[in-house]
Amino acid sequence: MIKFIEFSLRNRLLVVSLAVLMLAGGYAVYRNLPIEAFPDVSPVLVQVFTETHGLAPEEVEKYVTFPVEVAMMGLPNLKLIRSVSNFGLSVVNIYFEDGTDIYFARQVVNERLQEAREQIPEGFGEPQMGPISSSMGLILFYYLKDESGKYSLEELRTIQDWIIKYNLQNIPGVTEVLSIGGYEKQFQVIVNPFALLRYDLTINEVIEKIRANNLNVGAQFLVKNREEYIVRSVGLVKGTEDIENIILKSVDGVPVFLKDVAEVKIGGAIRRGIQTMNGGKEVVAGMVIKLYGENSSTVIERIEKRLEEINRMLPEGVKIAPYYEQKSLIESCVSTVTTALGQGIILVIFVLMLFLGSFRPGLVVALSIPFSILFAAIWMRYFGITANLMSLGGLAIAIGMMVDGTIVMVENVDRMLRSAEPGDSKLRIVMQACSEVARPITFAIIIIIVVFLPLFTLKGVEGKMFRPLAYTVALAMFGSLVFAVFIAPPLASLFVKVKTASNNTAPKNQGTGWLLRKYQPLVEFFVTHWRSSIGFAIALTIIGIIVFGRLGSEFTPTLQEGTIVVRLTMAPSISLEEGSKEIVKIVEKRLLKIPEVSGVITRIGRGEVGAHTDPVNNAEMYILLKPPHTWERAKSQEDIERIIRRELGEVPGVLINLTQPIEMTVDELLEGVRAQLAIKIFGDDLHVLEKKAEEIAAVIREIPGAADVQRDQVSGTPQVVILPDREKIARYGINIQDVQGTIEAVVGGVEASYVFEGVRRFAVYVRFAPEFRNTSEDIGNILIRSSSGVMVPLSQIAEIKEVTGPRQITRENGQRFITVQCNVVDRDIGSFVNEAQRAIREKVELPSGYFVTWGGQFKLQQEANRRLAVVVPVTLLIVFILLYSSFNSMKNSLLILLNIPLALVGGVVALWLSGQNLSVPASVGFIALFGIALENAMVLVTYINQLVREGLPLKDACIKGACLRLRPVLMTALTTALGLIPLLFSHGTGSEIQRPLATVVIGGLLTSTALTLLVIPALYRWFSIKPEIEAILD
Amino acid sequence: MKNKKILILVCVLLVGILGAFQVLLTRHYCNALSETTTTGASPTHHDEEAEIIRLSAQEKEEFGIQVQRASEGELDLYAVMPGEVVYNADTVAHIVPRYPGVVLEVKKNIGDHVNRGEVVAVIESNESLVPYPLKSLINGVVVEKHITLGEVLTEDTVAYVVADLSTVWVNLTLYQKDIPFVKIGQDVVIHAGGELTAKGKISYISPVVNEDTRTGIARVVLRNSRGLWKPGMFVTARVLIGKTRVKVRVPLSAIQQVDEDNVIFVKKEENEFVPRKVHLGRKDRKYAEITEGLNPGEEYVARGAFFLKSELLKASFTGGHAH
Repeated sequence: MIKFIEFSLRNRLLVVSLAVLMLAGGYAVYRNLPIEAFPDVSPVLVQVFTETHGLAPEEVEKYVTFPVEVAMMGLPNLKLIRSVSNFGLSVVNIYFEDGTDIYFARQVVNERLQEAREQIPEGFGEPQMGPISSSMGLILFYYLKDESGKYSLEELRTIQDWIIKYNLQNIPGVTEVLSIGGYEKQFQVIVNPFALLRYDLTINEVIEKIRANNLNVGAQFLVKNREEYIVRSVGLVKGTEDIENIILKSVDGVPVFLKDVAEVKIGGAIRRGIQTMNGGKEVVAGMVIKLYGENSSTVIERIEKRLEEINRMLPEGVKIAPYYEQKSLIESCVSTVTTALGQGIILVIFVLMLFLGSFRPGLVVALSIPFSILFAAIWMRYFGITANLMSLGGLAIAIGMMVDGTIVMVENVDRMLRSAEPGDSKLRIVMQACSEVARPITFAIIIIIVVFLPLFTLKGVEGKMFRPLAYTVALAMFGSLVFAVFIAPPLASLFVKVKTASNNTAPKNQGTGWLLRKYQPLVEFFVTHWRSSIGFAIALTIIGIIVFGRLGSEFTPTLQEGTIVVRLTMAPSISLEEGSKEIVKIVEKRLLKIPEVSGVITRIGRGEVGAHTDPVNNAEMYILLKPPHTWERAKSQEDIERIIRRELGEVPGVLINLTQPIEMTVDELLEGVRAQLAIKIFGDDLHVLEKKAEEIAAVIREIPGAADVQRDQVSGTPQVVILPDREKIARYGINIQDVQGTIEAVVGGVEASYVFEGVRRFAVYVRFAPEFRNTSEDIGNILIRSSSGVMVPLSQIAEIKEVTGPRQITRENGQRFITVQCNVVDRDIGSFVNEAQRAIREKVELPSGYFVTWGGQFKLQQEANRRLAVVVPVTLLIVFILLYSSFNSMKNSLLILLNIPLALVGGVVALWLSGQNLSVPASVGFIALFGIALENAMVLVTYINQLVREGLPLKDACIKGACLRLRPVLMTALTTALGLIPLLFSHGTGSEIQRPLATVVIGGLLTSTALTLLVIPALYRWFSIKPEIEAILD
Repeated sequence: MKNKKILILVCVLLVGILGAFQVLLTRHYCNALSETTTTGASPTHHDEEAEIIRLSAQEKEEFGIQVQRASEGELDLYAVMPGEVVYNADTVAHIVPRYPGVVLEVKKNIGDHVNRGEVVAVIESNESLVPYPLKSLINGVVVEKHITLGEVLTEDTVAYVVADLSTVWVNLTLYQKDIPFVKIGQDVVIHAGGELTAKGKISYISPVVNEDTRTGIARVVLRNSRGLWKPGMFVTARVLIGKTRVKVRVPLSAIQQVDEDNVIFVKKEENEFVPRKVHLGRKDRKYAEITEGLNPGEEYVARGAFFLKSELLKASFTGGHAH
């Protein structure tokens, strides 16, 4: 250590220029750090989507989900496979262990996907991976504003799909653009079954003829006069007329055209989602998804620039109108912390100048702030940590602590220089001064870093949220250590003046002088009446524990994103256009009546697959708010939410939830159970599962303490089931495939081919006219042709019935399951679970092959507790070892550790007084508090030790030491506290997550400093070192 | 000694405080969890025990809920079947040469109108070498012609087919499943696509079914004074196989399926509805008969019943009975 200092003092120029270089480099890196609103909490997840043409959940599961799941089993780093088979859509979520590289994960999934593709029957869909993105990836939503009113929804959708989408997709950093709303243009061939009968045709023949008559070929080239002519035969259909004139067959030389059996027209494709706004008006919308790991703010800037260009390209009157963008959120989050950071720096420097009383040492100390921050920035870049609310918040927390090491260093240099003999070499004095304190400084800073260890072990969302904060604190503290040890000494030697011996009495600042005069009698009293000091400490601790019991609690405060989403869940069987759309219209109208709301834009169901997988009974309404200064009744987002909740009231048959865009996506990706207790019943038969789940739910409800018991709603989708009678179809000589093929084409429709308009391609969709397929009776009248050419109605050979089928089938690790979830109130979860398990064993009989697992948040919490039960003692042990190696005294170390519980008291009381709850950020505050409290105590104990070694009597040493160290202890405490003050009073976006933290630290610092200054000197008598013994050992 | 005791005391205190902190922290999080999960709209509309659904007047209007009084009514039961327009076999005449001979003159072409006794061709008999006229047997239109100048016709050649198209037959394909219901005299509406429709009655039902197609024939005789119904046309027929008066008739939109049961929402008080399980009788395209569960005179939701069903289901998809 001393060698380092010697080296840096010898090579002052080198060290200073290196430091300048690092500052410059750090600044460049800092400017280019990827910026996000908050840390990305999404799990490492690869989604595999398969859109299946009109298949029911059971079929989707059997033919698509299962092969995909099987293929994915045994992947490296695999954590969990969870799947949902919905009507027409299979979603398989493949979760990997945290820390797995997303591209690696995608690569291994893609390899196995090949296998899965082979297992999925032809025509049942092509599995594809979701966008390379995360929950933070939905960065911009827009809709098409048609001011001219001339364009149909179908034309607007074509503009969206073929102009806007392609122009946005090639922006660097954009991974996908998904469309929703309007109608996808289609050439519809609406077949009349009686016409088919008349010409003795089947629908499958029609489809084949369309396919066979729509083709371009190339036939190499001809040579003519030494020139090559490329030969192409053009046979593509160009539009409705060409399709109409496709010849199906010819009878006695008379052609039968497609138009003889069908109507050909341009129409919209079948939809599973629509977008509406302001009272049910349909619009076309798009969403831009950011590539994983890209810098959100720069990508958004690029998009905005491109949007302007696209707007100029669009037809007159059509404009892209963004209605949600993450940019404002990012800006406000970052500005919340950077403002706090800036204000903190100013406050800290102010305190420094005030206490140090002279400009030059103050400057050296102040320089440690930019150095530490930029040092952290460089390593953030290296570790891939983005600049966001939490990581910058970590820097803001650390501001006050960053200067501590250098303060001690410079203060010592200052002191020594003052007392220097006129002839001494300045360099030598500086070196001696620095060497004296280098060791304790190093230990103090390392202890602060170590105290943040438990944060690194946090898992799940909280872990992802708070780990960046722990990282930046640790990095900045490390930077401050580097500064204090390497750079501060040369700077001090350059900047701090040698004082003449005449004024070598330390210049007491007026403020500290006054404080000292008040403090000295107090500390003398406490040291003399040590019982009262212990009583004081115990009394405070008891107050702390009492107050702690009264604290409310929440898991993590919800981040206010500034955008409100109203999420509607409707009956599972609801239809899109006649059901969901109608309800959404009613709700939109109600919302528009709220004066603060300027507009509502709603997505019902899902658009192009990739971002959302919602069925048509879900709607998400984005509330567009008027600018906040025009609000009359509301001050904050919470107020607005309250107003919306009140004015919206209840809507019959609809579950309403208020959420926010990112929050919602995170919930969806985690797909976890939000309740404390989740009982999953695994098994094969859906009916049995549902029955058993209901039985278990009933048993659980009876157990004292159970609340909010609910089971998954898995059924409730009406189905028309067609069961061909094998005996009968055999009698007619019909194959099952003929029946199925006809049903598929007639009822569902089939994409027969494409019409190309330039490179735009539009499907040619063949289907029966609606009046021949709309009811189950109509379906029964569909004619199937037998091998002998006879037409038989479907009802003759198949049973057609209406039943209620599964809504969706959820699977985990390859097995179907249903969840029963519940919360536990007024009792201990452990005993509840034991009782519930026993009750279920006794009362619910599970068939073989069925089993139950117990999980939920309580399990995560238990795991976290188990982890903390190891990590916290280990951390304390490490701290203790560090203290011990610093002081070489068991007693000293214990005395310093004693400061921890005393520091807690202030934090707890501060939370209680400010009306806040105990939450994860508050706990993080407590952790930071530990570090600072330890540091304070270390400073004090070090000096008392020193005085004892100098031979002062114990009591005098305690009092003198405390008085002498009043200035540095107050200074470090004040800098830390003042550095956090801006976070405490900030009302910007994201401040709600930093505020509890700042409250705890500031409150804790108050008590901890008071106790450090009053109780430690009093207690020191039992924890003192023995200079005699040390002398012997030396 | 004393020092040591205090030292131990302090250690115990330290551990105790940290331990208490940890326990309290755990408890707090658990409570926090239960608090976070109970949020969300509380369903006030839905009363679990009585399953009464309450709607305000405004909501009734927003959702287009319409209430009707259960009453008797008629059900029109139809069977739909494809058919084909053919000649009326009773008014078709085959014109055959009496003696084999050479065709000297062809007077009529396909589509020409002929009267009874009108000469349509002249043939020279092979036996007597004397020309004789071939005459139409009925008034009608030439629909087939197998005669060319100079051709030698034998006496079994059908030279002309003349049909009286003032009436045509529509042969309907009678599937096995419809056979028990279709009877002579039932009303039929025939569509030939577009605007072309006609009404008729079933006049004949074939006594056997075709061995290949397993279908029988039901016949309708159609008047065809304007000649719009042309033999060879494919048509759709809706046969009114039954017209029944039922005691309680409700529109199909009133019937909702809840857990495989058919349910109708009955009005209890103003703005209060209860679901009731019903048994359905016969159905037509618009109405259904209620055989059990709804009495005449009771008020029920005829339109917008789905929204009431949604409200009923809300409890199950928001979860559970423990509100």
